[in-house]
Amino acid sequence: MNSLNGKEASPLWRNWRLWFLIWLAVTCGLAAVLVWDGWPWLRGEPQVAFRDTMLNQWPLAVIWWLLVPVALWLQNNLTMIDRRWPWTLGLHAFMAAVISALFVILQATRMVLANHLPASFLPVVINDLRWMGGWSYTPALVYLLLIFALYAFSFYREWRAGQELTSELQVDNARLETRLVRASLDALKMQLHPHFLFNTLNSITSLIRNNRTREAEDVVAGLGELLRRSLEHRQDAVETLEHEIEFLRQYFEIESIRFQDRLKVEFAIAPSCLQALVPSLMLQPLAENAMKHGISRDPAARLLRISAERDGTRLILTVYNDGPPLPKDEAALRNGIGIQNTCARLQMLYGDEARLRLRDQPARGVRAEIILPFKTANTP
Amino acid sequence: MALLALGGMMALIFLGPQQSLAFTRRAPEDRNVLRVAYTQKLLPDPHRRSFPFSQYNQFVLSLWEPLVQCDPATSQPQPAAAESWEWSSDRLTLTLHLRRDARWSNGDPVTAHDFVRGWLRLLRQRIDSAQALFPLKNAEAYQRGNLKDARAVGVRAMDDYTLQLSLDQPRSTLVVELADPLLSPLHHTSPGIIATHGYMSMPSALVTNGPFQLVQASYDGFRLEGCKFYHDRASIRLAGIQFIWTDSLSMAPLLLAAGVVDLVTPTPWGRAREMPTNRQVNLENELELAVNSLDFNVTRGPLSDVRVRQALALAMNRAQPIQKYDPGHMVPAWSWVPSMPGREGLVLLKEDAVEARRLLAAAGYPGGEGFPVLRIALPLWMGGDPFPSAWSEQWFKELGVRTYIAYESPAQQATRMRAGEYDVLCNAFVATVPDAGDLLGTFLWPPELSGTKWTDKDVVALLVAANSKTGSERLAALDQAERRIMAAVPSVPVMFERRQTMLAGEVKGWYPDPLARQSLKRLWLDIPSVSAPATGTRL
Repeated sequence: MNSLNGKEASPLWRNWRLWFLIWLAVTCGLAAVLVWDGWPWLRGEPQVAFRDTMLNQWPLAVIWWLLVPVALWLQNNLTMIDRRWPWTLGLHAFMAAVISALFVILQATRMVLANHLPASFLPVVINDLRWMGGWSYTPALVYLLLIFALYAFSFYREWRAGQELTSELQVDNARLETRLVRASLDALKMQLHPHFLFNTLNSITSLIRNNRTREAEDVVAGLGELLRRSLEHRQDAVETLEHEIEFLRQYFEIESIRFQDRLKVEFAIAPSCLQALVPSLMLQPLAENAMKHGISRDPAARLLRISAERDGTRLILTVYNDGPPLPKDEAALRNGIGIQNTCARLQMLYGDEARLRLRDQPARGVRAEIILPFKTANTP
Repeated sequence: MALLALGGMMALIFLGPQQSLAFTRRAPEDRNVLRVAYTQKLLPDPHRRSFPFSQYNQFVLSLWEPLVQCDPATSQPQPAAAESWEWSSDRLTLTLHLRRDARWSNGDPVTAHDFVRGWLRLLRQRIDSAQALFPLKNAEAYQRGNLKDARAVGVRAMDDYTLQLSLDQPRSTLVVELADPLLSPLHHTSPGIIATHGYMSMPSALVTNGPFQLVQASYDGFRLEGCKFYHDRASIRLAGIQFIWTDSLSMAPLLLAAGVVDLVTPTPWGRAREMPTNRQVNLENELELAVNSLDFNVTRGPLSDVRVRQALALAMNRAQPIQKYDPGHMVPAWSWVPSMPGREGLVLLKEDAVEARRLLAAAGYPGGEGFPVLRIALPLWMGGDPFPSAWSEQWFKELGVRTYIAYESPAQQATRMRAGEYDVLCNAFVATVPDAGDLLGTFLWPPELSGTKWTDKDVVALLVAANSKTGSERLAALDQAERRIMAAVPSVPVMFERRQTMLAGEVKGWYPDPLARQSLKRLWLDIPSVSAPATGTRL
């Protein structure tokens, strides 16, 4: 397929030089045959008659072969789809008349040669042919039909090119759309960072007020590391679960300073899931919600468990906390920034193939579950 | 721009000069050579007659000599290969004595056996050529394959120089019929040479007995030179004849104008065009012994009524379309036989529209009311002929008779002829004997071969009786037969044809012949010794 900017090489069969060479070779071949056959007559041998040579009849047929490049050139240079179409039609009509006249002249020349008439008789013979009804208008008709066919083919080719262009534009549109989605994802991710930063900075402020400066320094160092990693993966919509878990560990190191011994974090990650691709920073908002709405609200709550397992073609990620049950106000639940962002990102990346569920657990606690297609970097 | 230049160049060619062009001077080697144009392929075979007959006749009579030749002034038979002849008392046997000095072009003597050989070969050709010998005893049976023994055919060599012809019934025109080029003798080597076209590579291998012999053959034509063994060579003034093939009838006059040929016959149909050079050209006219007719199928509906046939014949204004389309060649025909040397044509069916309407009304079709549509069968090649349409229009205009003109292939026409499914047939008859009885003989044909399906025993009796008479008695019998035929109008004669011959000013000795059998040996060239400027009388 040709590129839009035409920098790709044309296929061989569309190379006009090749076709011209073929045409030239055939023309030379035909000329050689005609000369070879008519050589005795050209040399003036008395026993050989012009009408007995191929020259007598062949040129009338061969003339079409000679005219094909002219017709192609004219058709290619005289486009019909512009304001000059009357001029184009006029030129083609003129050309048709010229070709008909050419055939009449050729026919008359043939008769002059075959009948040993002087060359000065050519106009007389031409007139004589008209007198006998020998002026044939078939060549004009053939030319116009040929031109019509060429235009039809040209229009068809342009239509096909338009179709291909549309397809390419559609692909480009899809690419643009993907980039747009990625930009949206980046924007969503940028919404997470201030939220997390706000909480962390509050924690640091609290630590400083309580003269826990050493711990405040650790939190600041950990936050710096977290931000660095975050910026490293900023361009990626997805990353491996292994990276995501690593990021969470950093996050919990900060949060453990804030919560001290009250927070117990458990990871139950199936080794086969470590290379699975997940939306970057997908688990962090859920972990943050578990801290904010679970662990923080119930002094007895202290467990936060992150798990990952594979179920056939699906990857199931869960974030569990043993805090209080979900609020009864569903609207409040749905309007949470972390939940909203997570739902939006899942929809953008996976459509209906992914979902997020929040459920109270029978004994105690709340479980957030993300189900999404199991994909790795090697998945096509 | 290139396209415009090309168009301009072409326009210059199209609009180039077409008058007062220079013509080619005669080459020294052609100084005393008559150059004749021919338009259909000629074969150096006397037994295969080709069309146009004039060209075939000129070619064959230049190479071969039959037993007799026709006198240019009277059309009466004169000695040629035979020096004398006599009839038996019952006029059923003709004995011809060949001249002893007649020689073939290789020096062999011309004998009666050469004629027997040639004629038996002719009987093995197509019927349209072979029928020239049908007056001979058993000739038709032999030609049709009903008789295998060639010795039973009525031609016998009594000795080397005596030929005897036997007939079934008297035929007073037989001697003059022997002038037909078809009845030429054949040298024993010729059948093989003709069959293999050996004359193309070795022209002298074609051995002939005429005033000229073949010296060159190519696809462009044939060159003949005077034969040194010809018995009357002293009277031949031409050194040779060049037959030059032209692409078409219309090209031939151009060749004459260009100085390439000296003789063109026939000329193209239609109105004559102006010549492009000032070469002096003479136009000769002669009435052909032929007739164009519309045959009525007398077995079909109203055409079985003689009044209807007479009405159709009288309603035709022959001169009007002739004047419009081809006054140079066509002549109105008011009887079956045109004027010819020794016999003036009759005027029997001159147009009379009032009488035509009266006759049709008397037959029960006043104003053409109730008259069925007449189907006119025409061959495809007549598609461009304007005359049938003109006659059809006249029948409708004068009588209210409608016609349908059907153009058909030869096969379709043959089928229609056999089945008799036509009303009117467009026909033409050409005589091969300079005698009125030859054209009138078409009414002797049996109904299955005749376009009219008409027969009349009185006419048959008159024509058979005429065959045993000579001179004025014969002419009177033929007149009587013709009047009786035209009164019954089984066929309407519509046009006779005038054969035109174009001759360069220097060609002398031309004479009219109703059968176009002018012998070119009688012509000569009158060329001034000092070359004159290229001027002359425009045609």
